[in-house]
Amino acid sequence: MNNTESEQKLEQVLHQALKGLPPRRAPRTLESRVLESLAQRASLHWWRVSFANWPVGARVAFVLICAALVAATILGGVSAYLGDRSLNEAAALVLGWVHPLLAVMSSAGGLVSLLVRVIPPVWLYGALGLGVLLYVTLFGLGAAAYRTLYLQSSSAGDGL
Amino acid sequence: MRAYQDMVFSTAARLAGNDTQAEDIAQEVFIRAYEHFSDLRGSVTAGGWLKTVTTNLTLNYLSRYRKRWRLFSEMRSTSEDSDTDGPELDWEVPDTILADLSAEQRSAIVEAALKQLPDHQRLPLVLYHFEELSYQEIADRLNVSLTKIKTDIRRARAALLPLLQDCGGARDTLDG
Repeated sequence: MNNTESEQKLEQVLHQALKGLPPRRAPRTLESRVLESLAQRASLHWWRVSFANWPVGARVAFVLICAALVAATILGGVSAYLGDRSLNEAAALVLGWVHPLLAVMSSAGGLVSLLVRVIPPVWLYGALGLGVLLYVTLFGLGAAAYRTLYLQSSSAGDGL
Repeated sequence: MRAYQDMVFSTAARLAGNDTQAEDIAQEVFIRAYEHFSDLRGSVTAGGWLKTVTTNLTLNYLSRYRKRWRLFSEMRSTSEDSDTDGPELDWEVPDTILADLSAEQRSAIVEAALKQLPDHQRLPLVLYHFEELSYQEIADRLNVSLTKIKTDIRRARAALLPLLQDCGGARDTLDG
Protein backbone atom coordinates (compact mmCIF):
# COMPACT_ATOMS: atom_id res chain seq x y z
CA MET A 1 0.00 0.00 0.00
CA ASN A 2 1.57 3.33 -1.05
CA ASN A 3 1.50 6.53 0.99
CA THR A 4 -1.51 8.06 -0.75
CA GLU A 5 -3.59 4.96 -0.23
CA SER A 6 -2.52 4.80 3.42
CA GLU A 7 -3.55 8.42 3.91
CA GLN A 8 -6.91 7.83 2.29
CA LYS A 9 -7.47 4.82 4.48
CA LEU A 10 -6.40 6.78 7.56
CA GLU A 11 -8.86 9.56 6.67
CA GLN A 12 -11.71 7.07 6.35
CA VAL A 13 -10.83 5.19 9.52
CA LEU A 14 -10.49 8.37 11.56
CA HIS A 15 -13.62 9.88 10.12
CA GLN A 16 -15.50 6.74 11.12
CA ALA A 17 -14.06 6.88 14.64
CA LEU A 18 -14.68 10.62 15.13
CA LYS A 19 -18.00 11.13 13.41
CA GLY A 20 -20.18 8.95 15.58
CA LEU A 21 -18.97 10.35 18.88
CA PRO A 22 -21.62 11.57 21.30
CA PRO A 23 -21.33 15.17 22.54
CA ARG A 24 -19.46 15.71 25.75
CA ARG A 25 -21.47 16.44 28.83
CA ALA A 26 -21.39 20.14 29.68
CA PRO A 27 -20.17 21.03 33.18
CA ARG A 28 -22.91 21.28 35.78
CA THR A 29 -21.81 24.82 36.53
CA LEU A 30 -22.59 26.05 33.01
CA GLU A 31 -26.32 26.51 33.45
CA SER A 32 -25.96 28.30 36.79
CA ARG A 33 -23.23 30.52 35.34
CA VAL A 34 -25.43 31.54 32.42
CA LEU A 35 -28.46 32.20 34.63
CA GLU A 36 -26.33 34.17 37.07
CA SER A 37 -24.87 36.25 34.28
CA LEU A 38 -28.32 36.94 32.82
CA ALA A 39 -29.67 37.91 36.23
CA GLN A 40 -26.73 40.23 36.75
CA ARG A 41 -27.38 41.87 33.39
CA ALA A 42 -31.09 42.20 34.12
CA SER A 43 -30.37 43.94 37.41
CA LEU A 44 -28.32 46.67 35.73
CA HIS A 45 -29.92 50.10 35.25
CA TRP A 46 -30.80 50.90 31.67
CA TRP A 47 -28.03 53.45 31.30
CA ARG A 48 -25.41 50.86 32.23
CA VAL A 49 -26.24 48.45 29.44
CA SER A 50 -25.19 48.92 25.82
CA PHE A 51 -26.73 51.81 23.89
CA ALA A 52 -28.61 49.40 21.59
CA ASN A 53 -30.61 48.17 24.59
CA TRP A 54 -31.63 51.61 25.89
CA PRO A 55 -35.33 52.56 25.72
CA VAL A 56 -36.21 54.19 22.39
CA GLY A 57 -37.12 57.51 24.04
CA ALA A 58 -33.80 57.64 25.87
CA ARG A 59 -31.89 56.85 22.67
CA VAL A 60 -33.68 59.58 20.70
CA ALA A 61 -33.20 62.11 23.49
CA PHE A 62 -29.51 61.20 23.78
CA VAL A 63 -28.91 61.64 20.05
CA LEU A 64 -30.80 64.96 19.98
CA ILE A 65 -28.92 66.32 23.00
CA CYS A 66 -25.57 65.27 21.54
CA ALA A 67 -26.40 66.86 18.18
CA ALA A 68 -27.49 70.07 19.91
CA LEU A 69 -24.30 70.16 21.96
CA VAL A 70 -22.11 69.62 18.92
CA ALA A 71 -23.97 72.30 16.98
CA ALA A 72 -23.79 74.74 19.89
CA THR A 73 -20.07 74.11 20.33
CA ILE A 74 -19.32 74.64 16.65
CA LEU A 75 -21.50 77.72 16.34
CA GLY A 76 -20.25 79.18 19.61
CA GLY A 77 -16.63 78.56 18.68
CA VAL A 78 -16.97 80.04 15.23
CA SER A 79 -18.84 83.15 16.40
CA ALA A 80 -16.39 83.72 19.28
CA TYR A 81 -13.48 83.33 16.92
CA LEU A 82 -14.82 85.53 14.16
CA GLY A 83 -16.38 88.24 16.32
CA ASP A 84 -16.87 91.18 14.02
CA ARG A 85 -13.92 90.26 11.78
CA SER A 86 -14.30 89.50 8.09
CA LEU A 87 -13.74 85.99 6.72
CA ASN A 88 -10.36 87.00 5.20
CA GLU A 89 -9.10 88.21 8.56
CA ALA A 90 -10.18 84.98 10.18
CA ALA A 91 -8.36 82.93 7.54
CA ALA A 92 -5.24 85.01 8.03
CA LEU A 93 -5.41 84.38 11.77
CA VAL A 94 -5.68 80.63 11.21
CA LEU A 95 -2.78 80.58 8.77
CA GLY A 96 -0.79 82.70 11.20
CA TRP A 97 -0.24 79.56 13.27
CA VAL A 98 1.25 77.68 10.36
CA HIS A 99 4.43 79.80 10.07
CA PRO A 100 5.65 79.31 13.65
CA LEU A 101 4.88 75.60 13.40
CA LEU A 102 6.98 75.28 10.24
CA ALA A 103 9.76 77.24 11.93
CA VAL A 104 9.76 74.88 14.94
CA MET A 105 9.85 71.81 12.68
CA SER A 106 12.66 73.28 10.63
CA SER A 107 14.67 74.03 13.80
CA ALA A 108 14.16 70.49 15.05
CA GLY A 109 15.35 69.09 11.73
CA GLY A 110 18.41 71.37 11.85
CA LEU A 111 19.18 70.23 15.39
CA VAL A 112 19.03 66.56 14.36
CA SER A 113 21.29 67.07 11.35
CA LEU A 114 23.72 69.05 13.55
CA LEU A 115 23.83 66.21 16.08
CA VAL A 116 24.44 63.67 13.32
CA ARG A 117 27.36 65.75 12.06
CA VAL A 118 28.85 66.40 15.51
CA ILE A 119 28.53 62.87 16.99
CA PRO A 120 31.17 60.45 15.65
CA PRO A 121 29.66 57.82 13.31
CA VAL A 122 31.08 55.02 15.48
CA TRP A 123 28.89 56.17 18.37
CA LEU A 124 25.82 56.24 16.15
CA TYR A 125 26.49 52.74 14.85
CA GLY A 126 27.17 51.59 18.41
CA ALA A 127 23.86 53.03 19.64
CA LEU A 128 22.05 51.44 16.71
CA GLY A 129 23.71 48.09 17.44
CA LEU A 130 22.86 48.36 21.12
CA GLY A 131 19.23 49.03 20.27
CA VAL A 132 19.09 45.97 18.01
CA LEU A 133 20.83 43.85 20.67
CA LEU A 134 18.35 44.94 23.35
CA TYR A 135 15.43 44.22 21.04
CA VAL A 136 16.71 40.73 20.21
CA THR A 137 17.42 40.04 23.91
CA LEU A 138 13.92 41.07 24.96
CA PHE A 139 12.41 39.04 22.12
CA GLY A 140 14.42 35.98 23.16
CA LEU A 141 13.47 36.43 26.81
CA GLY A 142 9.80 36.71 25.83
CA ALA A 143 10.00 33.54 23.70
CA ALA A 144 11.82 31.62 26.45
CA ALA A 145 9.35 32.80 29.10
CA TYR A 146 6.41 31.81 26.91
CA ARG A 147 7.80 28.35 26.18
CA THR A 148 8.78 27.80 29.81
CA LEU A 149 5.78 29.22 31.63
CA TYR A 150 2.81 29.20 29.27
CA LEU A 151 3.34 26.14 27.08
CA GLN A 152 4.46 23.85 29.89
CA SER A 153 1.60 24.86 32.19
CA SER A 154 -1.03 24.47 29.44
CA SER A 155 0.33 21.10 28.30
CA ALA A 156 0.43 19.89 31.91
CA GLY A 157 -3.17 20.94 32.37
CA ASP A 158 -4.36 19.38 29.13
CA GLY A 159 -2.44 16.12 29.32
CA LEU A 160 -4.05 12.74 28.95
CA MET B 1 -30.72 25.49 27.10
CA ARG B 2 -30.50 22.00 28.56
CA ALA B 3 -31.26 20.48 25.15
CA TYR B 4 -28.29 22.18 23.54
CA GLN B 5 -25.71 22.74 26.26
CA ASP B 6 -23.82 19.49 25.59
CA MET B 7 -23.61 20.20 21.87
CA VAL B 8 -22.44 23.78 22.43
CA PHE B 9 -19.88 22.80 25.04
CA SER B 10 -18.57 19.90 22.93
CA THR B 11 -18.13 22.06 19.87
CA ALA B 12 -16.24 24.71 21.82
CA ALA B 13 -14.14 22.19 23.76
CA ARG B 14 -13.07 20.25 20.69
CA LEU B 15 -12.09 23.39 18.85
CA ALA B 16 -10.43 25.17 21.76
CA GLY B 17 -8.85 22.08 23.30
CA ASN B 18 -9.43 23.60 26.73
CA ASP B 19 -12.45 22.97 28.95
CA THR B 20 -12.24 26.23 30.90
CA GLN B 21 -12.20 28.29 27.73
CA ALA B 22 -14.98 26.14 26.29
CA GLU B 23 -17.19 26.87 29.31
CA ASP B 24 -16.57 30.62 28.95
CA ILE B 25 -17.44 30.42 25.26
CA ALA B 26 -20.56 28.32 25.91
CA GLN B 27 -21.71 30.87 28.48
CA GLU B 28 -21.31 33.67 25.94
CA VAL B 29 -23.18 31.64 23.31
CA PHE B 30 -26.20 31.17 25.57
CA ILE B 31 -26.22 34.83 26.56
CA ARG B 32 -26.35 35.72 22.86
CA ALA B 33 -29.08 33.14 22.37
CA TYR B 34 -31.04 34.81 25.16
CA GLU B 35 -30.68 38.16 23.38
CA HIS B 36 -32.14 36.53 20.22
CA PHE B 37 -34.67 34.49 22.15
CA SER B 38 -37.66 35.88 20.27
CA ASP B 39 -36.16 34.72 16.94
CA LEU B 40 -35.00 31.35 18.20
CA ARG B 41 -38.02 30.33 20.26
CA GLY B 42 -39.66 27.41 18.49
CA SER B 43 -37.33 27.71 15.52
CA VAL B 44 -36.20 24.43 13.95
CA THR B 45 -32.87 26.05 13.07
CA ALA B 46 -32.01 26.94 16.68
CA GLY B 47 -29.50 24.08 16.90
CA GLY B 48 -27.76 25.15 13.70
CA TRP B 49 -27.73 28.77 14.86
CA LEU B 50 -26.15 27.78 18.17
CA LYS B 51 -23.54 25.60 16.46
CA THR B 52 -22.59 28.35 14.01
CA VAL B 53 -22.34 30.96 16.76
CA THR B 54 -20.28 28.57 18.90
CA THR B 55 -17.86 27.87 16.07
CA ASN B 56 -17.52 31.55 15.19
CA LEU B 57 -17.06 32.63 18.81
CA THR B 58 -14.46 29.94 19.43
CA LEU B 59 -12.47 30.85 16.34
CA ASN B 60 -12.67 34.54 17.29
CA TYR B 61 -11.63 33.72 20.83
CA LEU B 62 -8.66 31.67 19.68
CA SER B 63 -7.52 34.21 17.12
CA ARG B 64 -7.89 37.08 19.61
CA TYR B 65 -6.13 35.49 22.56
CA ARG B 66 -3.56 33.40 20.77
CA LYS B 67 -2.52 35.62 17.88
CA ARG B 68 0.00 37.34 20.11
CA TRP B 69 1.61 33.98 20.90
CA ARG B 70 1.50 32.51 17.43
CA LEU B 71 4.93 33.81 16.50
CA PHE B 72 6.47 32.04 19.46
CA SER B 73 4.40 28.87 19.48
CA GLU B 74 4.79 28.21 15.77
CA MET B 75 8.37 29.40 15.52
CA ARG B 76 9.52 25.83 15.14
CA SER B 77 6.62 24.58 13.11
CA THR B 78 6.98 27.32 10.46
CA SER B 79 10.20 25.79 9.20
CA GLU B 80 8.69 22.32 9.45
CA ASP B 81 5.73 23.40 7.38
CA SER B 82 7.90 24.49 4.49
CA ASP B 83 7.73 21.06 2.88
CA THR B 84 4.27 20.47 1.53
CA ASP B 85 4.52 16.72 0.99
CA GLY B 86 4.05 15.88 4.64
CA PRO B 87 5.45 12.95 6.57
CA GLU B 88 5.40 9.41 5.29
CA LEU B 89 3.09 7.05 7.16
CA ASP B 90 5.57 4.48 8.34
CA TRP B 91 3.08 2.16 10.03
CA GLU B 92 0.17 0.06 8.96
CA VAL B 93 -3.20 1.82 9.16
CA PRO B 94 -5.69 -0.43 10.99
CA ASP B 95 -9.09 -1.16 9.52
CA THR B 96 -10.86 0.28 12.56
CA ILE B 97 -9.88 2.35 15.58
CA LEU B 98 -11.37 1.92 19.05
CA ALA B 99 -14.23 0.01 17.48
CA ASP B 100 -14.57 -2.37 20.42
CA LEU B 101 -15.17 0.44 22.91
CA SER B 102 -18.40 2.04 24.03
CA ALA B 103 -19.23 5.48 22.64
CA GLU B 104 -18.44 7.12 26.00
CA GLN B 105 -15.03 5.44 26.22
CA ARG B 106 -14.21 6.36 22.63
CA SER B 107 -15.31 9.91 23.26
CA ALA B 108 -13.09 10.28 26.34
CA ILE B 109 -10.06 8.90 24.50
CA VAL B 110 -10.60 11.03 21.40
CA GLU B 111 -11.16 14.22 23.41
CA ALA B 112 -7.99 13.62 25.40
CA ALA B 113 -5.99 12.88 22.25
CA LEU B 114 -7.33 16.00 20.51
CA LYS B 115 -6.06 18.13 23.38
CA GLN B 116 -2.56 16.92 22.69
CA LEU B 117 -2.55 18.29 19.17
CA PRO B 118 -1.28 21.83 18.58
CA ASP B 119 -3.90 24.43 17.68
CA HIS B 120 -2.88 24.68 14.04
CA GLN B 121 -3.50 20.94 13.59
CA ARG B 122 -6.49 20.43 15.92
CA LEU B 123 -8.58 23.32 14.54
CA PRO B 124 -8.66 22.22 10.87
CA LEU B 125 -8.99 18.56 11.87
CA VAL B 126 -12.04 19.26 14.05
CA LEU B 127 -13.59 21.54 11.43
CA TYR B 128 -13.10 18.84 8.79
CA HIS B 129 -14.15 15.71 10.67
CA PHE B 130 -16.67 17.05 13.20
CA GLU B 131 -18.09 20.16 11.53
CA GLU B 132 -17.73 18.62 8.06
CA LEU B 133 -16.39 21.74 6.37
CA SER B 134 -14.46 21.36 3.12
CA TYR B 135 -10.74 22.10 2.90
CA GLN B 136 -11.49 25.34 1.07
CA GLU B 137 -14.06 26.45 3.65
CA ILE B 138 -11.59 25.76 6.45
CA ALA B 139 -8.87 27.69 4.66
CA ASP B 140 -11.23 30.63 4.26
CA ARG B 141 -12.37 30.49 7.88
CA LEU B 142 -8.87 30.28 9.29
CA ASN B 143 -7.42 32.68 6.73
CA VAL B 144 -4.57 30.39 5.73
CA SER B 145 -3.64 28.77 2.44
CA LEU B 146 -5.37 25.66 1.15
CA THR B 147 -2.02 23.85 0.95
CA LYS B 148 -1.27 24.52 4.61
CA ILE B 149 -4.72 23.32 5.66
CA LYS B 150 -4.26 20.04 3.78
CA THR B 151 -0.80 19.60 5.25
CA ASP B 152 -1.97 20.39 8.79
CA ILE B 153 -4.92 18.01 8.58
CA ARG B 154 -2.73 15.23 7.17
CA ARG B 155 -0.21 15.71 9.96
CA ALA B 156 -2.95 15.93 12.57
CA ARG B 157 -4.30 12.56 11.42
CA ALA B 158 -0.81 11.07 11.45
CA ALA B 159 -0.29 12.42 14.99
CA LEU B 160 -3.72 11.36 16.20
CA LEU B 161 -3.53 7.74 15.10
CA PRO B 162 -0.72 6.65 17.48
CA LEU B 163 -2.33 8.66 20.30
CA LEU B 164 -5.59 6.79 19.84
CA GLN B 165 -3.83 3.46 19.50
CA ASP B 166 -1.75 4.13 22.63
CA CYS B 167 -4.87 5.02 24.58
CA GLY B 168 -6.61 1.91 23.29
CA GLY B 169 -3.62 -0.17 24.33
CA ALA B 170 -3.49 1.43 27.76
CA ARG B 171 -7.19 0.71 28.18
CA ASP B 172 -6.63 -2.92 27.17
CA THR B 173 -3.85 -3.16 29.76
CA LEU B 174 -6.10 -1.69 32.43
CA ASP B 175 -8.96 -3.95 31.46
CA GLY B 176 -6.69 -7.00 31.44
